Amino acid sequence: MADGAGNPPSAAAGMTSNDVREAVLEASTAGSSLRIAGNGTWLDAGRPVSGGRPLPLSGLTGIVNYEPGDFTLTARAGTTLDELAAATLPHRQFVSLDPFGDGSGTLGATVATAASGPLAHAFGSPRDNVIGLEVITGDGSVVRCGGRVVKNVAGFDLTRLFTGSWGTLGVITEVSVRLRALPAEDETCFVTVDDRYERLSALFSALREASIAPFSMEIVSATLARHLALPEAAALLVRLAGNATSLGAQRAVLSGLGDVRQAPPAVWSALRAAEPREAIVARLSSLPSRVAAVWTSAREATAGVAQAMLTASPSRGIVRCILPADARDAARRIARIEASVIFERLPNDLWAELAPSPVSDRLSRTLKQRFDPSNVLNPGVLGETAS
Amino acid sequence: MAAPRTSSSPTEALSPQLERAATRLASIVGPRGVLSRPSELVTYSSDGLPFYRKRPALAVFPETRDQLIAVVRALAEEKIPFVPRGAGTGLSGGALAENDAVIIGLNRLRRIISIDPENRLAVVEPGAVNATLSRIASVHGLHYAPDPSSQTACTIGGNVAENAGGPHCLKYGVTLNHVVALTIILPDGELVSLGSAEGEREGYDLLGAFIGSEGCFGVAADVTVRLVKNPESVRTLLADYTAIVDAARAVSAIIASGVVPAAMEMMDGPTIRAVEASIYAAGYPVDADAVLLVELDGLAAGLEEDVALVERLCRGAGARSVRVARDEAERARLWQGRKKAFGAMGRISPDLVVQDAVVPRTRLPDVLAEIHRIAQSTGVLVCNVFHAGDGNLHPNIAYDARDAEATARVHHAMRAIMRTCIEAGGTITGEHGVGLDKLDYMPLVFTEDTLDAMCRLRDVFDPDRRANPGKVVPVRSCREWRMAPATHRPRPPA
Repeated sequence: MADGAGNPPSAAAGMTSNDVREAVLEASTAGSSLRIAGNGTWLDAGRPVSGGRPLPLSGLTGIVNYEPGDFTLTARAGTTLDELAAATLPHRQFVSLDPFGDGSGTLGATVATAASGPLAHAFGSPRDNVIGLEVITGDGSVVRCGGRVVKNVAGFDLTRLFTGSWGTLGVITEVSVRLRALPAEDETCFVTVDDRYERLSALFSALREASIAPFSMEIVSATLARHLALPEAAALLVRLAGNATSLGAQRAVLSGLGDVRQAPPAVWSALRAAEPREAIVARLSSLPSRVAAVWTSAREATAGVAQAMLTASPSRGIVRCILPADARDAARRIARIEASVIFERLPNDLWAELAPSPVSDRLSRTLKQRFDPSNVLNPGVLGETAS
Repeated sequence: MAAPRTSSSPTEALSPQLERAATRLASIVGPRGVLSRPSELVTYSSDGLPFYRKRPALAVFPETRDQLIAVVRALAEEKIPFVPRGAGTGLSGGALAENDAVIIGLNRLRRIISIDPENRLAVVEPGAVNATLSRIASVHGLHYAPDPSSQTACTIGGNVAENAGGPHCLKYGVTLNHVVALTIILPDGELVSLGSAEGEREGYDLLGAFIGSEGCFGVAADVTVRLVKNPESVRTLLADYTAIVDAARAVSAIIASGVVPAAMEMMDGPTIRAVEASIYAAGYPVDADAVLLVELDGLAAGLEEDVALVERLCRGAGARSVRVARDEAERARLWQGRKKAFGAMGRISPDLVVQDAVVPRTRLPDVLAEIHRIAQSTGVLVCNVFHAGDGNLHPNIAYDARDAEATARVHHAMRAIMRTCIEAGGTITGEHGVGLDKLDYMPLVFTEDTLDAMCRLRDVFDPDRRANPGKVVPVRSCREWRMAPATHRPRPPA
């Protein structure tokens, strides 16, 4: 972590990727390490970095290339998601990445952590949207992989390698993404649902076959619904998109599930910002057919935790649990749920106990050694130990 | 077990090392599963690209997963290079092996192992044929979305190696977006799982790194893919243009409208005329400079409005006519012309080189004009048939390879076209891979540091560089190789 309060460290304005390269080389020569940060939005997420001088990239900003007709955009890593939205909206386009947190999060951090949000239902995660990167690897090499076109198989796929590597293989300094067009119309609505196992299971089966094509579709627990200023009951939250005829038909399909009511579009940003910084956050991933079971297990594991909030993305098989920082036993119970359990935020001392390193296999260790031989970059953030 | 039949000609004799390997491989797969005679190896001496011919030392055809693992381990112990090969439909020379290497043919490992309709997943062997998977999944109302033109022959394992695309990737994404897990055999014989079908995993995206690695990182033993629900409704339009630039403008207008077509394909005049002169005639107007084939699919409700909008946009860009297929038969006919365009071009002359490059969509009109100019100045016949929606060009040249002078002009034209695409901010391959064919272009699109990073990634999976050696990244780009003392250098490609 950059500092005790998790505040973003100050950054040099007008920073260039060469400044990043020099910082990496300097740390490598000095035998020290770096803690890479964007705007500090997610600095308290992930495992604690051992040591590490902060390398803030919030000064490495600006859109490098944006040709609306190409539906691609290249920006420096420290550019915020809000800035990208402001640049693309006049052309009725958007970057289909909406990670949890707010729009002050940077593009670089989103890609480095492979963070995704409700839009992933329709558009996938960063790996499905990033088309090119500039990365400074741990030995100071400047790698420019991928490109500015939406389809590209030239050479080995370094873009996928660096996406989601939490800065441990290289510092992302520039990102090219594909853009999406805003639909003719879109609207957000919700349906109150019964989230007991059988009913939820039946709901998910119905949704799998339903004639709808939403941008986003999430289930929120009653506690989270209240936080979003919706009625205090579990709800299905849907962002429908398409032309007017399509929207009308999709709304009719949803009304077969219950009373469909409009929600303000801002409910999505409220959902993304629902988790307090000091929360414990776990993402439970499983087959879509098991989401109702995982939801039920998560409800049981968090029973009695007053501020526990749950959200699920049924199509992607994901249940997300948000708990207050002191709910340590609930976190332990969540770790035992039959699912792929990924903690996003935990008190520092619980990481080793609940989330051992996901990069301890031979290939991952060799990869780290090849791209960051001196262990300069974010040491420990993936729980790895220096080899 | 009997040794495989080998050639008695001294010039074609195998080295003692390969003789030993041949015997060993035959003991794993049976003598009929190993080919070593030059006459038997002819089929495995080329792929879909006619420029290259290389005869492997041996070809081995495991029929079970255990045999495949044993084959890779035996080759590891014998330190013999190998090249995995699916159906051999690749278009970059990527599945060719030098005469000291063994082809591992995966086409007998073609089972669909399981289909999970509820979670829309399928597990297949690497040699399973792309179209077979979709046919079998169709009973559940599902299909496998990536649809390369060779889909009736090409294998899922080959698709993984090339990160294959196809017309419908415009809406549905390429192989990368549809493979959720792999079991691979590393070149040293170790079995490793990448990704997970049962939910995302933390850690490096080794699955993403493996997809598109062109057989250089190991061999897939099984592949778990996502299946996609068949659309409720499909509508196909054909717009015809007297100027290809207008067709390119229509593409931009449709993309900008927010409607995402399932596919958006363009064929130029020479392609149209080749198709119409063949048995695949689809009723394209032969006097057109270009036709645009647009397919819209999805929910039935609202689709007609999108069809009407696309039709308006096509006309607004100057379409002479727009035809909407009235029924499935007419739709199939419109598509057949597109899917069989390569075959139709093959009728014009004995050889056809199918090229692959990508440019930013807004540069399509300039690049097409420049390709036309190159064709005229080099005196070759270029037929353009391509995935216009993602800027993925396929400029194809029909020629006679027996004519050395004509072949030289074809090479010259191809290089000029590639340079044009690179200068337009594009790339050298969108779905066919680098293989052998695009090796020389790699330094034109990537810096030394980037090529070296690719070498480093390859070394993680295959430190001895025995898997498909000499492909994708020029060996001279690998810093460690250049700097190593000569005696410690990994074997350079022949």
